[in-house]
Amino acid sequence: MNAAANLRDRMDPLEQLIQDAPGRIDAAETIVALDEIEADTVGRRSPIAEARSALGGIKDAADRGAAGKAINDIANDLTSQIAARRQVLEGAEVNARLLSDKVDVTLPGRVPRRGTHHLIQQTMDEIVDIFVSLGYTMVQGPEAETAFYNFTALNIPETHPARHESDTLYLDYGESDEEILLRTHTSPVQARHMEVNDPPVYIVVPGKVFRADAIDATHLPVFHQIEGLAVDDGITFADLKGTLAEFARQYFGVDTEVKFIPHYFPFTEPSAEMHAYTQGRWIELLGCGMVDPAVFEHAGYDPDAFTGFAFGMGVERMAMVRHGITDLRTLIDPDVRTLEQYR
Amino acid sequence: MKLTVSWLRQFIDIPTEDPNELVEAFESLGHEIENWNVIEPTFTRVVVGEVLEVEAHPDADKIRLTKVNVGSEVLDIVCGAWNFEAGAIVPVAVPGAVLAGNFEIARREIRGVTSNGMICSEAELDLGEDAEGIMVLNEDYPDAFGMVGEPFEDVIGLPDVYLEVGVTPNRPDCLSVYGLARDLAAFYEIPLKDHGISVAESGEPTTVAVTIEDAEACPRFAGRQVRGITVGISPHWLRWCLTQAGVRPISNVVDASNYAMIEFGHPTHAFDVGRLGDRILVRRAHDGEEIVTLDEQTRELTSSDILVTDGEYPVAVAGVMGGASTEVGDETTDVFVEAAYWDPASVLMTSKRLGLRSEASARFERGADPSFCHLAADRVAQLLTDIAGGSPAPNPVDINPGEITPWTIEYPLSETDRILGISLDSATTIDLLNRLSFETAGSDPIVVTVPTRRPDVRRPVDLVEEIARLHGFDQIPDTVPQGPGGGLGRREQQLRRIRDIMVGAGFYQLIGFSFIGSHDLDRLGFDVEGPSGARINLVKPLSETEGVMRTTLLAGLLKAASAAIGRKNATTRLFEVGIVFLPGTGKLPVQPERLAFVIAGETGSDWLTEGAGFDIFDGTGVWALLAEKLALENAELRKAASMPFHPNRCAEIVIDGVVIGAVGEIHPNVSEAFGISGRVVAAEFDLDALLLESTPWQFDPPSVFPPVVFDLAFAVNVQVASSDLLQAVRRGAAGLLEDVTVFDVFEGESIGEGRKSIAVRIRLRAADRTLTDEDVVPIRKAIADSVAKSTGGELRGEA
Repeated sequence: MNAAANLRDRMDPLEQLIQDAPGRIDAAETIVALDEIEADTVGRRSPIAEARSALGGIKDAADRGAAGKAINDIANDLTSQIAARRQVLEGAEVNARLLSDKVDVTLPGRVPRRGTHHLIQQTMDEIVDIFVSLGYTMVQGPEAETAFYNFTALNIPETHPARHESDTLYLDYGESDEEILLRTHTSPVQARHMEVNDPPVYIVVPGKVFRADAIDATHLPVFHQIEGLAVDDGITFADLKGTLAEFARQYFGVDTEVKFIPHYFPFTEPSAEMHAYTQGRWIELLGCGMVDPAVFEHAGYDPDAFTGFAFGMGVERMAMVRHGITDLRTLIDPDVRTLEQYR
Repeated sequence: MKLTVSWLRQFIDIPTEDPNELVEAFESLGHEIENWNVIEPTFTRVVVGEVLEVEAHPDADKIRLTKVNVGSEVLDIVCGAWNFEAGAIVPVAVPGAVLAGNFEIARREIRGVTSNGMICSEAELDLGEDAEGIMVLNEDYPDAFGMVGEPFEDVIGLPDVYLEVGVTPNRPDCLSVYGLARDLAAFYEIPLKDHGISVAESGEPTTVAVTIEDAEACPRFAGRQVRGITVGISPHWLRWCLTQAGVRPISNVVDASNYAMIEFGHPTHAFDVGRLGDRILVRRAHDGEEIVTLDEQTRELTSSDILVTDGEYPVAVAGVMGGASTEVGDETTDVFVEAAYWDPASVLMTSKRLGLRSEASARFERGADPSFCHLAADRVAQLLTDIAGGSPAPNPVDINPGEITPWTIEYPLSETDRILGISLDSATTIDLLNRLSFETAGSDPIVVTVPTRRPDVRRPVDLVEEIARLHGFDQIPDTVPQGPGGGLGRREQQLRRIRDIMVGAGFYQLIGFSFIGSHDLDRLGFDVEGPSGARINLVKPLSETEGVMRTTLLAGLLKAASAAIGRKNATTRLFEVGIVFLPGTGKLPVQPERLAFVIAGETGSDWLTEGAGFDIFDGTGVWALLAEKLALENAELRKAASMPFHPNRCAEIVIDGVVIGAVGEIHPNVSEAFGISGRVVAAEFDLDALLLESTPWQFDPPSVFPPVVFDLAFAVNVQVASSDLLQAVRRGAAGLLEDVTVFDVFEGESIGEGRKSIAVRIRLRAADRTLTDEDVVPIRKAIADSVAKSTGGELRGEA
């Protein structure tokens, strides 16, 4: 058999291939089936491959080139047909996979679990931060306190009704004569701080306080206060007014109007109450005043050299006013339906 | 302090009719108006009438026929009351009138006679309790004579305005109509009217002689003897005023004393001279001495109480309550009105000890005006003359053993600027002080004479307050000083981070009460001898369930979780950061800050979490998160068994070798005692070690080289803690270990009795190169050796 005859033998099956392959390619329903067809038609053992291997036997370069080109044309044609079919089948396969992923996208999602800071905590932190931004230092003190720091150092006389057991919770603790109690306000921290720090003093004191009150809509035996104290050379009532008005604007909104009306506290003179106009009405917000010289004397400060102002506010009240809570008992409710609203 | 505006108007011509303006005026003076309302008559078309004739009814015994002049006409009215005759001036509801309760008055037939209206009683007009007879105005309201035909409400002075004034404790001088009028006069810059007190003396001189044994107890004592009184009902105007002031009318003698007290602020007490005798001695009580007070109670006295005695036996607890033995009764004709100034602190102590707080004791406690004693006695004598037919005796008692006189304060003008931040000149300052009836001399310093009614004004700074409130707080500018800074401090910053981590881990913060019940400590199974079981008791707890200071946050959290579960919350995750109270050696209890959390309740019931339970590892996981985020080094968990935890599901938390708390599952007996079924995960630990100053963490650049990951399984004794095995792995792997995790633990026959398998996955990585077998092989051996050495674990093969 001569080479040309050999090639012809090899080319004959290609005719068959050109006849059959397109139909088979179009009929392939899976990638696997198409892979088989690809191997059969253009793979290593395919008629195409055999035809190519026979090319070497053609001596005439021109003939060999023409035959090679013919084989390549057939191969390229088949390859592109297979590629086109593959693209169709792959698209269908992706579509089938996507279809199998179908879900009800409106089913509730996996919400990452997150709790809340208690509203009282949030309120304390926010108010403390306002004063920290005005250059104050946050300090805290003990909740179980001596009668000295809670009353005497604050110019509250032995006979004052606030000292009575009907108002103050005393502890049966210790051997000393000094009465131990649950602090009735955060003011003892003032006294403690002044005892060991010289002016200037700018402090903000958040904390828990206690009164002998039964629980109802407007009373809790345990609640929270924020106390502030500024003692410096030249502090005046104007500073007190300006500072607290600034606080009200930051906490309740920039347009918040405030007014100060005279009041009485044993540890300040003059004393005032600040009212703020918020949510359509005037609301009493806090007590304040210029530190009474007697308090400075207890602290060892010279009342002729320094002046200062102090204020105290109820944290619960601030939170209730701003968030529309009308019953104090809400703030001790452990029900998640309450707690989750603290956002 | 309750009163009416019409009462105020007796002493000051208030320049406004608008109650809102008056409320604001009081407020700017520092007298908060706690409540106010307009008092409207509850009737319409009731007029003043004059009874012209009274005749018997032809067919009835109990009712009479009257002719009443109501100005425009004379009406025939049938009346069932018998307490009047022709000439009486009376309130008449004419046809068309409507009385309280929507009771309409119309012309109607009564036993065959037409009645054209109704003559009214106090009760029918909602003006008092007397429903027996009709109101006869002749004596009680003499002005009514000239008002026939006019609306009856004009006689009473309605409509009026009711005020409730919150007088601050430093202002006893404002616990009266006159005192409030004085402050208002200063505010409006108008004169205060004269008090109008005058006494028409007659008869024999005063016979009661007074001796003060203790001038400190009783610095001033005045008294008026009034003879010939008739005890009875007070006139309507007086009873009406008292009622508005919240004081119940009793009899004319008692009412006169109360009226004078509301009017001028000074309490008085009337003794029946017939029962008292002619002598009064004021002294301190003897310990154990007794008196029967007006309320028929026998009171035991102590030596701090001040007594009014008849020379021997007590007849009154001074300033607090009179004695029964000298009480004014229906037969009394001769009284002695005591108006004294008692030592405020003594009265406070006595009234508190006896539980007898009253309008009178409240005024003495805060400090009545010693200079007003004689006027108070005079005012009561004047009232007794007017309403009880009394004759005040000449030579009243007025002694001043304490010699309390007005005091002076030197006021430097600079003080205004120093405290208030505004400068006021001398003339302005003097004007403000004079408006308050403080006398002044000089210009700088101003020498201010303070009246004795103002015990609260002793120092220059007290005058600053007076100047400020009268000048107006709104006249002071607003300035904002900037502090030197200092911020939150490390401790608070750490606390905030810790709370953030807990919230991020799905926990809700609670803020619990600081006291719990003694029973709660029992329920938690704490040893009474241990620090957590120790009771720091409240002297007077609010309730039995709040009797001891908390030594643990868990009691509160378990109660809260139980309550939340009771409300059908699903899984409850709660935490608290707060102080507990433990016995210590110092003056105060030890008060460490702690964190505690609980997980309890049913597990999720939605389609994603159904059946996902929780156990101790949810608790230790939270601790691991905290330890990681707070970069706690040398933190470890050790097996432990302590209440209130499950003996086999509890780990103690150790930092630098110190136990700071525990995490685990709550002992089933404890959770049951708190009413919670199912597993409860909890932890509680001291935060101090977590709040310390520490050096900032330093960045560690992640290696760009690949890791080598391999697994090792060890057979160990079942008692071996996996944490110990992991420690051994870490020690063995030394510097190249990036991570080690436990991925399988099992017990079974294949391992052998009393043994278990712990399989760990180890990831090694070097910062500077790709690790090769030459690196890994010796490390693998070192790990196996380390584990064998510290836990006895044998390498089972590489999974």
